[in-house]
Amino acid sequence: MSEDAISTVPNPATSKRRLHGIRFNLEVRRDISPWWQAAYLAGFIALGIGISAIILIWAGVPAGDLIDQFLVETLTDSDNLRSVLFQGAPFILVGLSASVAFRARFWNLGLEGQMIWGGIGATFISIHHIGPEALRLPIMIFAAAACAMAWVAIAGQLKLKLAVNEIISTLLMNYVALNFLYHLLYGPWRDATDGFPHSPKYADFERLPDFFSFSGALPLALITALGVWWLVSFTRFGFYMKFVQASDKVAGAVGIPVARITLVSVLLSGALAGIAGFVVASGQEGRLIQNFSDGYLFSGILIAFLSRNNPIVAVIVAMLVSMLFISGQSLQVFYQIPFAMVQLVQAIIVICVAASEFLIRHRIHIVR
Amino acid sequence: MNELFINWIANTPGYAAPYALAALGLILCERAGVLNLTAEGIMLVGALSGVGATLTMGGYPQLAIIIAMIMASLVSTLFATMTVLLRVNQVIAGLAMVFFCQGLTALLGNLFEWKNQPITGIGRIDVWPLSEIPVIGHIFFSQDLIVFLIIPIFYLVNRVLTRSMVGLRLRAVGESPEASDAAGINVTAYRFLTVMAGSALVGLAGAYISVASTKIWVDGVTAGRGWIALALVIFARWRPWRALLGALLFGAIESAMPRIAAAGIKVPQYFMLMLPYVVTLGVMIWVAWSKRGGATDEPGALGQPHVREERR
Amino acid sequence: MTPALDLVDIRKTFDGFVALDDAHFSAYAGEVHALLGENGAGKSSLMNVACGLYTPDAGQMLIDGAEVSLAGPSEASARGIGMVHQHFKLVKPFTVAENILLANPRRSFAKGIREISDEIRRRSDALGFNIDPTRRVGELSVAEQQRTEILKVLVGGARILILDEPTAVLTDQEAETLLTTVRGIAAQGAAIILVTHKLADVKKFADRVTVMRGGKTVATIDPSTKTTDELTELTVGASLPLPARTPGHFGRRRIEVINLRCTRADGHIALEDASFYVRAGEIYGIAGVSGNGQSELAEALMGVRTPESGLIQIEDAGEAVSAASPARMRALGAAFIPADRYSYALAGSLSITENFAVGGVGTGRYGSWAHLRQSAMKKDAEEAIGAFDVQGVRTLSQKAALLSGGNAQKLVIAREFSRSPNVIVAHSPSRGLDARATAAVHSRLMSAREAGAAVILISEDLDEALALSDRIGVMTHGRLVAEFDAPADRQQVGRAMVGHV
Repeated sequence: MSEDAISTVPNPATSKRRLHGIRFNLEVRRDISPWWQAAYLAGFIALGIGISAIILIWAGVPAGDLIDQFLVETLTDSDNLRSVLFQGAPFILVGLSASVAFRARFWNLGLEGQMIWGGIGATFISIHHIGPEALRLPIMIFAAAACAMAWVAIAGQLKLKLAVNEIISTLLMNYVALNFLYHLLYGPWRDATDGFPHSPKYADFERLPDFFSFSGALPLALITALGVWWLVSFTRFGFYMKFVQASDKVAGAVGIPVARITLVSVLLSGALAGIAGFVVASGQEGRLIQNFSDGYLFSGILIAFLSRNNPIVAVIVAMLVSMLFISGQSLQVFYQIPFAMVQLVQAIIVICVAASEFLIRHRIHIVR
Repeated sequence: MNELFINWIANTPGYAAPYALAALGLILCERAGVLNLTAEGIMLVGALSGVGATLTMGGYPQLAIIIAMIMASLVSTLFATMTVLLRVNQVIAGLAMVFFCQGLTALLGNLFEWKNQPITGIGRIDVWPLSEIPVIGHIFFSQDLIVFLIIPIFYLVNRVLTRSMVGLRLRAVGESPEASDAAGINVTAYRFLTVMAGSALVGLAGAYISVASTKIWVDGVTAGRGWIALALVIFARWRPWRALLGALLFGAIESAMPRIAAAGIKVPQYFMLMLPYVVTLGVMIWVAWSKRGGATDEPGALGQPHVREERR
Repeated sequence: MTPALDLVDIRKTFDGFVALDDAHFSAYAGEVHALLGENGAGKSSLMNVACGLYTPDAGQMLIDGAEVSLAGPSEASARGIGMVHQHFKLVKPFTVAENILLANPRRSFAKGIREISDEIRRRSDALGFNIDPTRRVGELSVAEQQRTEILKVLVGGARILILDEPTAVLTDQEAETLLTTVRGIAAQGAAIILVTHKLADVKKFADRVTVMRGGKTVATIDPSTKTTDELTELTVGASLPLPARTPGHFGRRRIEVINLRCTRADGHIALEDASFYVRAGEIYGIAGVSGNGQSELAEALMGVRTPESGLIQIEDAGEAVSAASPARMRALGAAFIPADRYSYALAGSLSITENFAVGGVGTGRYGSWAHLRQSAMKKDAEEAIGAFDVQGVRTLSQKAALLSGGNAQKLVIAREFSRSPNVIVAHSPSRGLDARATAAVHSRLMSAREAGAAVILISEDLDEALALSDRIGVMTHGRLVAEFDAPADRQQVGRAMVGHV
C-alpha cells in the first residue's frame, strides 16, 4: 500500500465556528391528537377564507357586503336556498366520484369527460325515445352511468395493463369528450326548433321530479352518499380498498385482488360522475348545453380532498362548495366579479389545507 | 399542393415551440425530483403576463416575454413552497396550482381588461438573403425570434444538465435525495430554484402562445397544451433533445390541421380539434407498450418529498 | 494524546423517542475502534451525529480537542470525517467518478471528472480495489459499491473513517479482505470506527471496542481481554440460547420448486434453475450473500413475482397443484414472513386490527361480503397480540407503523400463523430485530416445524440458517449451487457461498 492511500493532511478547512444559536430541525411526527389536527385544519381554512376575502375586497366588493352575500343572502332567500340545495347534488356526486377513485389510488381527473358522457348517454335515450315513459328516467340514469363507466374504463385498463399514467390520460380524455360533445351539439343533435347548439329539451317525465318544491336531485345524491358510505365502511370491498389505498404492494401480497378492486372502484367513480352529468343536464336546462360540466373537476377533487374521502363529510363539504358557487353567481350579477373568482377561492382553500397538513405531519424541533 | 406542403413545414416550428419549451421546463423540474403538474396553469400565467405587459407598455413584445417568464417564475414559488418546503403531496399541489392559475388569470384578465384585446406581438424575422433561398429559406430562415432561439436554449439547458456541476447536483437530487444530502448538497434549495427556473421556461411557452401565436388573451388560451407537454416528457424519457423531437411531431400535427381542411379533405371540425389529444394518448400508449417491464428512465425520486430525519 | 474524535454526552430524540441518551465515544488516530451493539442500540444514530446528518439535542463534539458544531454532512467531510453508510449513499444511475465528484466537488465538471477518475484509479490500485471509474454504480456488485463509498471518503481527505456495518452484505472472505485493508488505512494514521454487531469481526480486527445498549454507552474496553460470551452479555444484557433442536420427523413433500427462472427489470437473470423441495416438519434453509436472487425467490414463492419459467407446486390433499397468486397460495395453506415488512406484509397507515384481520376477511371469518363484524376482528386481534407478545400497543386502532421493528414482525407472525399454515416462507425473519425478538421469531419457526409445517427459511445470516435448518441450500448468482444436511459445516457452506464448488 502506498502513502497515497490516505491523506494525512490535517484539514481544518472550515475553521469558522458556528454561533451557538437556535437551529430548526424538521421531524416526522409519530402521532398527533385529533384535536390538534382539527385545530390546525380550522386555522388554515380560516386563513384561506381571509385571503379570499381580501382578494374579493380588492376586486371591488365592499367589505361590509361580503358576509351578507355569502351567508345571509344565500341562506335566507328562498330562491337562493333552492339553488344551493339543487347545486349541492351534482357536487356531492362528483365529490363521491373523486373520493372513490382516490381510495383506490387512481387519480381520476376525468370527471368532466365522464360527466359529458353521462349527459350524452342520457340524452341519447331521450332523443331516441327508448323505453316506456314510466321507466324513462331510470333508463336515462342507467345509460348515463353506463356510458361514463365505459369512458373511464379506457383509462382504468390502460393504467392496469400498461401502467399508462392516469393523471394525464384522464385529463386528455376530457378534451376529447368535450370536442365530441361540440360535434354532437353543432351537428346531429342541434336543436331543430331554435337552431341553437344545444340538444332538444327533455320531456317532463325525463327530468328529475321536485319534492316539496325542492329538486329531487338532492335525495338522489344523499341516498348515493349513504350507499357509498356503506360500501367503504362496512363491506369486504371497502376493507380491501383501504389496503389498496394504503399500499397496493402490501395489498397484493396479503392476497387482495388489487386489479379487480381498482377496476371496480374506477368504474364506480365513472358511474357517479356520469350520473352527476345527467343531474346537471336534467336539472338546469333540461338538455345538454355546451359547457355544462365546466368547473366540476376541481370541485370534485376539492370535496374529496377536504373530506379525506369520507362520503358523509363529503356531503357537508359539497353543500359548502354549493353555497360558494351560488354566492359567486350573485357576485357576478351584482359586482361584475368574474366567475373565475369561485375557482380561485376554491384553489386558495385547497392550498391552505394542504399547507396545514405539513404541520399535522411534521414537527419543528428547536435545538439550542 | 407543393406550396401547401412547404407552408405546413414552415409553420410547424411555430406550433412546436410552446410544446418544446414547456416540456424542457418540466424536464428540468422532474430531473430534480419534483413532479410538476402545474404546466397548464403556469403557461396561462405566462400567456396573460405577456399580453398584459405588451398592452401596458404599448409594445415591446420581446421585453413582455421576459416579464412573462419572471412572473411565471414568481408564481411558481407558491408551488415550490408547497412541494419542496412543506412536502405537500405533489399531485394535489400541482392540480391546486393549475386551478389557482386558471382562476387568477381569468380574474385579472377581466379586471385589467386585457381580455380580447388584439396585440401586435412578435413577428417573423427574415434572415436576408438566406430567407430568399427557395423552399429552405422559407422553412429555416423566416421564423420568429423565439423559434430561432429554441436550439440555443435546448443546447444550453442540455449542456448544463449533463455537463456541469450544477447539472450533476440537480440530477443527483432527483435520483437520490438521500445520497445528495450525504454529499452535502442542499436538496431543498436545489429543488426550489429548479422549479423556479423550469417554470420560467414554461412561462415562456405560455407567453409564446399569446404573444407570438394568437396575439390575444382569452381565458384558457393554452387549451390543454400544458398537459400534452407533460405527456411529452414521458415520451422523451426526461431527455431534452427527444422532447424537442416530440414537440416537432405535435407541431406538425397541429400545423397540418387547418391545412387538411384547406386542402378540401372533409373531416368533421371537432374531430380535427380532438386530434392532438388523441395523438397524445396514442403516443402514451405506444410508449407504455414498447417499454413494458423495461426501464422508463424516470428520475428515481420523482414525486418524493425529502425529509432528512425521517424514521419509521 | 487527544482523541481525533470525541463525542460527549450526546442526546438525540425523535418526536419523543429517545434514540441517544447521554452517549459518549472517542477514537484516536491509528486505531480501529469498534462500536458494538444490537440493532436499535443507537450506534447508527450516534454515527449520524458524528457525520453531521443529525443535529444532537444536547452534548458536545470535539475534533482534535476543539469543540465543533456541524451544520451538515459537508462540514463534517471538510473536517475530515467520512462515513460509509450501511445503506450506501450512492446515486445508482451515475458512474463511480460522478458519484465521487458529487461528494468532492470541483469547479469544472469536465476537468473534475478527469482529475477524480485519475485519483480513483491511483487509490484503487494502491488499495487493491480494482474499481473502474467509468462504470455505473447500479451495475456494480455490493462489495464494489462499498469500495466506491470508501474511495469517496478517502478522496474527500477523511482522517476519521466511520464504517457502518460494513461486513453485513459481504461473504466471509470479502469481509476478511475489507477489514485487512481497513487496518492498513488505520496504520497510516487514520482513525477507523467500525460499527458492527458481529463479535468475530470485533475480536479479530478492533484495537478497542465501545459497547452500546438502549441508546447509552455501556463500556469501552480492549476486546482481547474479554471472551466472546462476555462481549455478548455486554451487548445483549443477558445471553439468550437458541431453541433446543429436537430430531426432525419428516413427512411427505409439501412444497416443490422446479426449475424456477426469473429475470430482473434490467435484463439480468436473477434466478436460474432453482429446484428444491421441502417436507412436512422440515426447515429448509437457503443461505447466501444478500443480492444473489433471494429476494426474487421469496417474491416468486409469495406469488407477487411471476417467474419466467418453472413451477411452484404445493401439495393439496395428496395432489400437487401449482401456485400462482398470493391469494391462491394462501388458500392452499401458505404463510409468508417477508424481509421487507412494509412492502409486503403490513400497511403502515392502517390500524393493528385491520392489519391483523385482513388474513381472515377473505375467508368469511368476519361475516359476509356485505357486512364485516368489526367487534369480532378486534377480539381476534386482541387475543393474538396477547398470545404472540406484541408489545407497544396502546390501542388496537393505532397505526401499525408505530410499532417497533420487532413488534411489527411479531404482528406479521401472529397473523400468518393464526391460520396454522402448512407451508411457511420466511425471508430474513430476524433482520433488524433485537436478541429477544429474534429468539421469539426462531422459537415460533421451530414450533411450526414441530407442528408439521414445511418451512422455507431464506436467510442472509449464515448463523441463523445453520442453527435452524434441517437442510441448507446455498444460493449464488441466482443458482442453488450446493445442498447440505444438518449439521452442516460452516466452512463448507461458506465456501459454497462464494461459488467454489
